[in-house]
Amino acid sequence: MSCPAQRAADLGLMGCHICGLVVRGRSGHGLLCPRCGAAVHFRKPNSLSRTWALLITAMLMYIPAMALPVMETSYFGNTQGDTIMSGVVYFLKHGDWPLALVIFVASVLVPLLKMIALVYLLVSVQRHSLFRHRERTRLYRITELIGRWSMVDVFVVALLVALVQLGALASIAPGLGAMAFAAVVILTIVAAMSFDPRLIWDHQERIHSHEQ
Amino acid sequence: MTSHAVLVACHECDTLQRVEGLPSGSVARCRCCEARLFANPKGGLDTPLALTLSCLILFLVANAYPLLTLNIKGLTHETTLSGAALALYRADMAPLAAVVWITSVLGPALIIVSMLYVLSALRFALRLPFVRQVLVWISRLQPWGMLDVFMLGVLVALVKLAGMADVVLGAGLYAYVALIFFFAAASSRIEPHLLWERLGVRG
Repeated sequence: MSCPAQRAADLGLMGCHICGLVVRGRSGHGLLCPRCGAAVHFRKPNSLSRTWALLITAMLMYIPAMALPVMETSYFGNTQGDTIMSGVVYFLKHGDWPLALVIFVASVLVPLLKMIALVYLLVSVQRHSLFRHRERTRLYRITELIGRWSMVDVFVVALLVALVQLGALASIAPGLGAMAFAAVVILTIVAAMSFDPRLIWDHQERIHSHEQ
Repeated sequence: MTSHAVLVACHECDTLQRVEGLPSGSVARCRCCEARLFANPKGGLDTPLALTLSCLILFLVANAYPLLTLNIKGLTHETTLSGAALALYRADMAPLAAVVWITSVLGPALIIVSMLYVLSALRFALRLPFVRQVLVWISRLQPWGMLDVFMLGVLVALVKLAGMADVVLGAGLYAYVALIFFFAAASSRIEPHLLWERLGVRG
């Protein structure tokens, strides 16, 4: 069987994003799903420009997220700012490389790879790429799945700030880097949501339909 | 129980396909891109209802008792689940506090309560208002409930503090760990697509 065998949009049908009902579409927008009442579209509206806008904002925020301290630790009168990378280095120095790896992957690598993956998906869709539809869809799926785990560093900062409040002895305050970092995570999550993976499949080699 | 045959348009590649009766306990995948279309979890509505109710109780306990207590040279300071967000708010980072509170407290709470509402309406054939709206609402909320990610945050924070202070695990944390498991179990027993099938098209 060729793949995709029959695409819903080619038959004037669209699947509801919320409840999955297949409904007959009309040209133009503004159709509400008869089962769940959510708006149904052939493709997410303005998917590409919306995703680009969110993605570029996320990329800009990534710079302060990495450069500014995510928290400021005061310990016996000494104040010290910690960036995300210095947190990784701290664990490495203490021989705690599994944790250094978790933080590095979740906070540095995942947001970066996610942004690179989305750029690649956007560019490949805009250039009507016929390259490996299935693998690109899988790339999208992974991107969507792992994005939320980057929030871990924000939660760590929140917990440390909440716990280490012992006045002059020791205290931790959140840094602006944490705010920028949370913005990166949320922007990339929303960017991934606004990308429509069905666009990857909208350009097919005609030969495919003659297979078998 | 096998599910009815349904027409599905894959949400990732738009392939139109008919999924014939799916045996319970299995997952239907797109025959083109292998995206997960929907699952047919074992058992009826009783199990997910019981699990979701357990989640609610565990969630309340997790919120009511301290999560962690810090102890440095006799000075102690404790925090609850909401305390993490509150500390950020007090440090003049209201937007960050809102993000943390929504993903760790409000989001999960709304998902649990809403799911309980929809499941009870279906299970006991109650004519409750706004069931459809609530089910739509759950789908939209799903990405913003980050219970499991928060748990990883607790673990990392514990290791970070281990060097400088004693940390005592509170009752809230035990309830929280249990909540993670019950929440995962409940989620795997709930398939929104099948709940929609039960609700049917408005007539």
